[in-house]
Amino acid sequence: MTGFRLQLGGRVDRSRTVTFSFDGVRYQGFAGDTLASALLANGVSLFGRSFKYHRPRGLLAAGSEEPNALVSVTRGPGRFTPNLRATGVEIYEGLEAVSQNRWPSLKTDLGAVNDRLGMFLPAGFYNKTFMWPRSFWDKLYEPAIRKMAGLGDAPTEEDPDHYAATYAHCDLLIVGAGPAGIEAALEACGTDKRVVLIDEQDELGGGALSDPAQWAWLADSVARLEQAGNVTLLTRTTAFGYYHDNFIGAVERLTDHMTQPGEGAREKLWRIRAGEVVLAQGAIERPLVFAGNDVPGVMLASAARTYLHRHGVAVGKSVALMAAHDSGWHDAFAHARAGVKVAAIIDVRSEVDGALRVEAAALGITVHLGSSVIGVNGRHRVNGIEVCVGGRGAATRIACDTLLMAGGWTPSVHLWSHSKGSLAWRDDIGAYVPDKPNENVRCVGACSGKWDFGKGQVIDMLPTPRSPARIKAFVDFQNDVTAKDIKLAVREGFRSIEHIKRYTTNGMATDQGKTSNLNGLQIASQALGRPVVDVGLTTFRPPYTPQTFGALAGHAKDALFQPLRKSPIDGWAEANGAVFELVAQWRRARYFPRGRESMLAAVNRECRAVRSAVGMFDASTLGKIEVVGPDAAEFLNRMYTNPWKGLEPGRCRYGLLLKEDGFITDDGVSARLAPDRFHLTTTTGGAARVLNMMEDYLQTEWPDLNVWLTSTTEQWAVIAVQGPLARGVIAPLVEGIDLSPDAFPHMAVREGTICGVPTRLFRVSFTGELGFEINVPAAYGRAVWEAIHAAGKPFGIVPYGTEAMHVLRAEKGFIIVGQDTDGTVTPDDAGLGWAVGKKKPDFVGKRSLARPDIVAAGRKQLVGLLTDDPAEVLEEGAQIVADPNQAVPMTMIGHVTSSYWSEALGRSIALAVVAGGRGRMGEALFVPMPGRAIRATVSGMVFHDAEGARLNV
Amino acid sequence: MSDLLLRNEPDCAGFAGEGAGVAIRLAEPMARYSLRARDAQVLEDLIGLAVPRAIGATLGDMACLGPDGWLLCASVGTVLPSGSDLPVAITDVSERAVRLLVEGPRAGEVLMAGCPIDLDRFAVGRATRTVFETVEIVVWRLRDDAFAVEVWRSFAPWLRLALVHAAG
Amino acid sequence: MMLIHCPYCGERRPEIEFAYAGEAHVARPVDPSAYTDEEWERFLFIRANPRGRHNERWRHIHGCGRFFNAVRDTVTDKFETTYKAGEPRK
Repeated sequence: MTGFRLQLGGRVDRSRTVTFSFDGVRYQGFAGDTLASALLANGVSLFGRSFKYHRPRGLLAAGSEEPNALVSVTRGPGRFTPNLRATGVEIYEGLEAVSQNRWPSLKTDLGAVNDRLGMFLPAGFYNKTFMWPRSFWDKLYEPAIRKMAGLGDAPTEEDPDHYAATYAHCDLLIVGAGPAGIEAALEACGTDKRVVLIDEQDELGGGALSDPAQWAWLADSVARLEQAGNVTLLTRTTAFGYYHDNFIGAVERLTDHMTQPGEGAREKLWRIRAGEVVLAQGAIERPLVFAGNDVPGVMLASAARTYLHRHGVAVGKSVALMAAHDSGWHDAFAHARAGVKVAAIIDVRSEVDGALRVEAAALGITVHLGSSVIGVNGRHRVNGIEVCVGGRGAATRIACDTLLMAGGWTPSVHLWSHSKGSLAWRDDIGAYVPDKPNENVRCVGACSGKWDFGKGQVIDMLPTPRSPARIKAFVDFQNDVTAKDIKLAVREGFRSIEHIKRYTTNGMATDQGKTSNLNGLQIASQALGRPVVDVGLTTFRPPYTPQTFGALAGHAKDALFQPLRKSPIDGWAEANGAVFELVAQWRRARYFPRGRESMLAAVNRECRAVRSAVGMFDASTLGKIEVVGPDAAEFLNRMYTNPWKGLEPGRCRYGLLLKEDGFITDDGVSARLAPDRFHLTTTTGGAARVLNMMEDYLQTEWPDLNVWLTSTTEQWAVIAVQGPLARGVIAPLVEGIDLSPDAFPHMAVREGTICGVPTRLFRVSFTGELGFEINVPAAYGRAVWEAIHAAGKPFGIVPYGTEAMHVLRAEKGFIIVGQDTDGTVTPDDAGLGWAVGKKKPDFVGKRSLARPDIVAAGRKQLVGLLTDDPAEVLEEGAQIVADPNQAVPMTMIGHVTSSYWSEALGRSIALAVVAGGRGRMGEALFVPMPGRAIRATVSGMVFHDAEGARLNV
Repeated sequence: MSDLLLRNEPDCAGFAGEGAGVAIRLAEPMARYSLRARDAQVLEDLIGLAVPRAIGATLGDMACLGPDGWLLCASVGTVLPSGSDLPVAITDVSERAVRLLVEGPRAGEVLMAGCPIDLDRFAVGRATRTVFETVEIVVWRLRDDAFAVEVWRSFAPWLRLALVHAAG
Repeated sequence: MMLIHCPYCGERRPEIEFAYAGEAHVARPVDPSAYTDEEWERFLFIRANPRGRHNERWRHIHGCGRFFNAVRDTVTDKFETTYKAGEPRK
């Protein structure tokens, strides 16, 4: 119990008390407090346990650079957010926060044994130790390490919140609303520029919020910005990443600070395109590296000043300062003036500005120049420090409960570096500053290296008489990396800072090295004996601070995750109990169970209906392309394997499409409606791909052709009516088309009307039965479907789904591209050699069909496969071997591509690709499955009505 | 088209939230044609309508969407010649897309929830093909506070829901 | 997300409207059957894949629909220029 609320001061609203809890204990703070400031005011100093050693940790900072005080906030089922910085959590009535990485409790953490074993846990410990035996990794090492080392728990329930997202455009985007950012915004006030000013805190002001002398200016400036009309102010918004062409990702936290979040979105993802970007992200104070610098109560001097002035909270009752920079002196003076005892100022420099010494004397503060802290007393809280002169000789103990560190300043160049702007090293401040921009961006204020906090000395570690091998002087607090670890990495041969980073984990993960990078670099530079610029700097990566997955997903959640495309007839299928499956983004009726019918029973019934009477099927999702122009036939002739020029208007043809490498990429039946107009169909999943491929050839290879392609997939609803009675069903509904077999043969197309609606009527069959595919304008698809269904009732018409469609086509040996082919199947492999125009001089993929490996013997070929046991239905994807008794690993000679129960044959059927398959007719092969091998015989691919008589009725 | 049969439109109930600043509704059916030609003059001569020449420009019911491509959105019953034997391609796509009308002072803002182009600087009378998140759309600015969004039929319910979500 | 200048639309548009389409200026031979297996292999499979300046194709697929060519630096991921299909290599 050391921190306390001052009687006066701060920007908190002392009239509004807020009650919250931390680790189950109730506390009170004021509106305007962060969890950090409110707990400090209540005397709490222990905030968490460190990542690896489970050391007790308190607050280091007051802003988003805080590496230690990570907490989880829970607000009901699914609303659990881990790894929040206590310094960024605004308190609200009823807030419930808990500490992390400790068991059973924060005060008594059994994992702290790691701290005692520290000498056995050097850098690279996990890499070195948990290598062997391999089998131990999954069951022992990994779970144990995960339990011991880590951040907060991942939430286990679905997130009930929703999130918003938007694009935004502006002429000037300013990131950071400290004095420099506000000045930049004020300059653009009243111009015709669209200005956006972003800041991660709940109010504008940045560093000015911690400086009462600037509050009047701040209030006036904010009022001017609010009234300007051309300035959008986004608070509680973190610009987390800077991407190409001034594209900035930012997340606005909308409800996390509210007691009653309401119905609105929790967070909003802003995707901002800016003409010019001004980065005003400020600078982060650097810790100093010495033994015990992580004991709760050791913190950044500037952070203490923020708690003092912004929150009216003193971080301790007796405060000492360890400085290497002037700025810390001013922070100490502020405490003294506020009535907080300043036990001592220790400065590593032997000489400092006389004015500082005069002021210290006036405030009655003892000063130790040329000295350093070499040890910190206390485990859960500082109770004293040990100081010695010049890192040598006897130590003096100074009693205090808080030690401030002032190690100088590091410009926040994170976003600048995301944008690939170059950096320049400045020896005087021991930091990289922005140099040459890679976008239309400039840095202003402290992040450009310009500040007026005074001078300092750049130092890697404070001098100490103790053996460096025996002290824990922390560099990266979040990842528990000590100076010793970095030196060890150098001794073990790591030279590049990128490698040192990965070996030691310095500057990695959620922290991105905000407080650690520069100290780590200085230590590595000293250990390597090379200047810092030669050691380099690790890459800053987005996000600047961790963001929720919800925010990044934005509105792409639940029903908006991705479009669910439904055919015009989908509503009827749903009303009639269809079970659906997804095919690409489409949902398609898979089968129509009656009552409690099983899938197999339903599919068998649907198949029987098509074979014996008539069935109807929604084929609307088939891709369709209208090919129009004087050169339409010439174009198709070049694209497809088979000839098209001789196809008469009114006739259809099966088209096989290869890629230039000779492998099948799509197929479909297409119709010539007029000399210069074709109606193409593609597979459901291939529609966009085929159109893109055809456009590619048309635009870049054959731009001279007068032909154009238009997607008409969604223009037409397609109803397949299939079965021996199909003609009778549709005949009364069709006008203007002679349906008689002679006038309208198989593979023909006619235009007329059905139910009074214009139709492109195809006589085609994917079932082997007499069949029609009725294209009608999409808006009329459902009405025509219902009319056919009603007309079909006397004929026993049955709607069937994609599963029956698959069975029926497999019985006929019709392939599904993408199921029976996999991108390595040629027309000959698939038994479709007949569809290749041998006399055509060229078509896409033709030359490849003569490649040596394509004409070689022994290629996998598509064949039928019949199991010895007719009731055995093979698993699709199952591997095939010639000899089931060979040693493991066996030689695979192919796999099953399609497999079904065939109701028509009363047995199972399968299609498979098998090496040299067509030369193995009648040969017995085996499908190894767990515990057994299934024997099957190679057959032809057509299982039903091989002569095709059923088509011609 | 038969009067005996009912049209069936995608599920796109209108939205006009209290104080939402934007209303979203499905437009009445239209005749739509995709027009392609190497030479716009040939097209003009054939159909007897002036054709905008610059990509993004509109003239009456016609938008120029590409160097050789136009979209005509006209009243139901508009019939164009087929253009046989000419180096043009005219295709009826009346039912391929539906039109969502997004109107009100927040119309542009709501569209920009998922449309990456700068609609603040998208002049009245301009039209372009673009995307709303992953879904292709044609945006046509009718007035300062009104946009027509053409979207393929099966994507319309998703787009409508996304816009309502953004308007929320 | 980059902005890409479409040489047909004459403006820079967001990358999400575009699709990448591989190396540019790999012309399909007028008579592929005249190619030897080695020549055909080169045409089909062998690409420059440079570190640096790369002539490549893009399609403004969700815009004007046109394929066009671009010069992009594969190290900086910056476009140097874009130009219409059929124009000489830049």
